[in-house]
Amino acid sequence: MLDAIDKTLLKTVADLEELPKGAYNIRKNGKLLSRHVSANINIETNADETGIIVKIKPGTKNESVHIPVILSQAGLYDVVYNSFIIGDDAEVTIVAGCGIHCGTSDPEGHAGIHEFKVGKKAKVTYIEKHYASGDGKGRRTLNPTTKVFLAEGAHAEMELTQIAGVDEANRVNEAVLGPGSLLLITERVLTDGDQIAVSTNNIVLSGAGSRANMISRSVMKGNSRQIFYATMDAQNKCFGHIECDAIIMDNGTNETMPSLKAGHPDAELTHEASIGKIANDQLTKLMSLGLTYDQAVNRIIQGFLK
Amino acid sequence: MLELKNLYFTVPESEENNVDSRNIIDGINFVFDDGKFYAITGPNGSGKTSLAKLIMGINTVSEGAIIYDGMDISALTITERARAGIAYSLQQPARFKGITFRDLLTIATGIDDENKLLDILKRVGICPLSFLDKEVDAKLSGGEIKKIELATTIAANPKLAIYDEPDTGIDLWTIGPMVNLLKKELAESKTTTIVVSHNRSFLEAADVVIIINSGRIVYSGNLEGAMPLLDDLSVCTYRDSCEGDSDAGCYR
Repeated sequence: MLDAIDKTLLKTVADLEELPKGAYNIRKNGKLLSRHVSANINIETNADETGIIVKIKPGTKNESVHIPVILSQAGLYDVVYNSFIIGDDAEVTIVAGCGIHCGTSDPEGHAGIHEFKVGKKAKVTYIEKHYASGDGKGRRTLNPTTKVFLAEGAHAEMELTQIAGVDEANRVNEAVLGPGSLLLITERVLTDGDQIAVSTNNIVLSGAGSRANMISRSVMKGNSRQIFYATMDAQNKCFGHIECDAIIMDNGTNETMPSLKAGHPDAELTHEASIGKIANDQLTKLMSLGLTYDQAVNRIIQGFLK
Repeated sequence: MLELKNLYFTVPESEENNVDSRNIIDGINFVFDDGKFYAITGPNGSGKTSLAKLIMGINTVSEGAIIYDGMDISALTITERARAGIAYSLQQPARFKGITFRDLLTIATGIDDENKLLDILKRVGICPLSFLDKEVDAKLSGGEIKKIELATTIAANPKLAIYDEPDTGIDLWTIGPMVNLLKKELAESKTTTIVVSHNRSFLEAADVVIIINSGRIVYSGNLEGAMPLLDDLSVCTYRDSCEGDSDAGCYR
């Protein structure tokens, strides 16, 4: 059922060697390839058959759902609308990811629109990896959107990674935080060649005592370009922080625009942003431990994107 | 084991001073013997750190030669010198993102086995176990990062270890153990040790005290012999322009 290319893509985007245990939904070339539900996690196709609805029962503990998408069909642009409804007090890990293998000169792409409704005191960890491979010259596009709604006391941790090979990415992350909720987003993007990646983040701190931390790590190699927008919109007593660091290698370029909006007198918002080459003292240190210049560069980037 | 031959480190000077260049290290000749403890001291800006960086290859030699184990290493890269057995603790250690103390130890030693790393921590002593998975980032205190820097240098098992002001930011209770640690490493592994410091504990521990002023070695010998020179401030960099207490140009 899974061919060699599928297995490589699955391994890269979802750390899966074989079909996963627990609930999963694997989509290949715009169609359902395989699905498995568990006692607490239900997956069904949505009414207009454009995606899936994943429902996690209230109180579910320590379960995971894998929902990888793999594309290897030339000329296909696959759009999918997925909803996640996470019940009160549930604790769940969702592993998504899209792997594109492009073997021809026709473009391939995927847009995943993921909406999360996280119930009261529920905890969700969302891990998303994007990766493209193949010898074909076809343009590989990934345009993911995540929309997160956190109920009172909910907790969401999101790791969003674009590893390699994606020519064009336009990511949108939106979140609305209820009272006492917590959102942690870590985004890591590596671009090379003439690739371009745009990330737009809008985080609304709506509830009292809500907290959000957005960390962005960007590395631009070759002539690649990344643009990062992040807005924290504080509408209540809350805490928000944006940390965006970009490392420029070769002739890469970067624009970083963190923006803080305080619409409440008790809002606490901070940001730190940096763009630059790898710091010399870091290179010197690792070289003085015996690494060559190139090894030191790789080790620093590897840590930065870890 | 290490010989500095007519060593110069020259930097371009700003136009205001009407000179093209300035010798930060101004013709140093010195032989460091195997397995001895050297303390380099001298006023701020005298060239101590520049000299230490020349030996490690962080600064490039302008003129002269550095002979290490019979080989001229003046043109070698930092990496080549590290692989030849020289290690260096920076005065202001680098801070990373996403690299832990464990990662640095593994890079320094090639060891990633948990038990062996714990043995190294035990041997070095000054870093608690809780440090191992700490990221070596901006969140560490000045003292913590200096301990990690020192431990990483020792872990590399160098033949020649250079420590640039290892006591900066270190609490009073750790300086004694730190001196003892360097002496122990020297005794057990015959590590030739060079410490750049103003701290008396290191000067007392040293076999040879070297005083540098204006890029030159003005004294080398035991601490007793160095004391008059250190006491009467004859190494003051403002000596030529000093007008006494009424108009102290150095703002001391």
